[in-house]
Amino acid sequence: MRAEELKGHLDAVLLAALEDGPRHGYAVIEALRHSTGGRLDLPTGTIYPALRRLEQAGLITGSWSVVGGRRRREYRLTAAGRRALSGRRADWREFAATVSAALEGRGCPNPA
Amino acid sequence: MSEPRVIGAYLAVLAAELPAPIAEELADGLADTYQSYLRQGLAPDQAAKSAVAEFGDPHVIAAAFARVNPARRGARRLLLTGPVVGGCWAAVLITGRAWAWPIPLPGRIGFGLVLLTVIGLLAAAALGTRYRLAARAGIAGCAGIAAIDAIAITGVMLASPSVTLVMMGAWRPARRGSGSACRPCVPS
Repeated sequence: MRAEELKGHLDAVLLAALEDGPRHGYAVIEALRHSTGGRLDLPTGTIYPALRRLEQAGLITGSWSVVGGRRRREYRLTAAGRRALSGRRADWREFAATVSAALEGRGCPNPA
Repeated sequence: MSEPRVIGAYLAVLAAELPAPIAEELADGLADTYQSYLRQGLAPDQAAKSAVAEFGDPHVIAAAFARVNPARRGARRLLLTGPVVGGCWAAVLITGRAWAWPIPLPGRIGFGLVLLTVIGLLAAAALGTRYRLAARAGIAGCAGIAAIDAIAITGVMLASPSVTLVMMGAWRPARRGSGSACRPCVPS
């Protein structure tokens, strides 16, 4: 899957990658590769500005540490980030169910 | 372990366009990517080329950071609230018949030029795709706004003390929380 196909969902995917605990940028990418079986093909550099945007929005918080002589910035979910992730998951399930129903020509499981 | 020149050149582009902490974070990520390719068995030069290719165009990354630049967001807020503040000032100046104040023409022209320059700086910060330039323009624009406020308030106080009293009257209820449409005109 290419970056443009993920447009609009990158924030939720990044929040999900941080759900299990704090991670630095490269570890976030590794987690996404692992969880998607390598199907997520994002230019690694694009993750970092997105993490910065989520931090400014108060959904994650970043802190510096020193690992192997290199300064490293780790990110963790905030309470607002957990709530946002929960909301995005619910939205995605509804969206996926609706589009699947439309594409496959069967009734919507949860009609409005 | 020293990293190949291709990584150094890539990081130099990022360091030239982005603040040091951001460039440092990206350097850490690129080093991890490079090490990962080395562990997969690639030769150092090929590992470096693969790591740089995986990271993506450094100018695209820098532009993405420019879009989340706090200076850009601040400049946009100032530009959005500017018409409201300008409206308040217009009301004060019209009420005080500012056209009749004894302010010399060069002073009026100078004030107008400063105002236009500040608007231009804020627009450059709000729309800029270069992080450092946008940050500098934003800081200069904010400083310009403060200077314009100081000049305008000083000018009003000197040219028309009666208008100053009206402004103070409008300011006091706002300080008590009862609200005033002109509060942004007067620094707190």
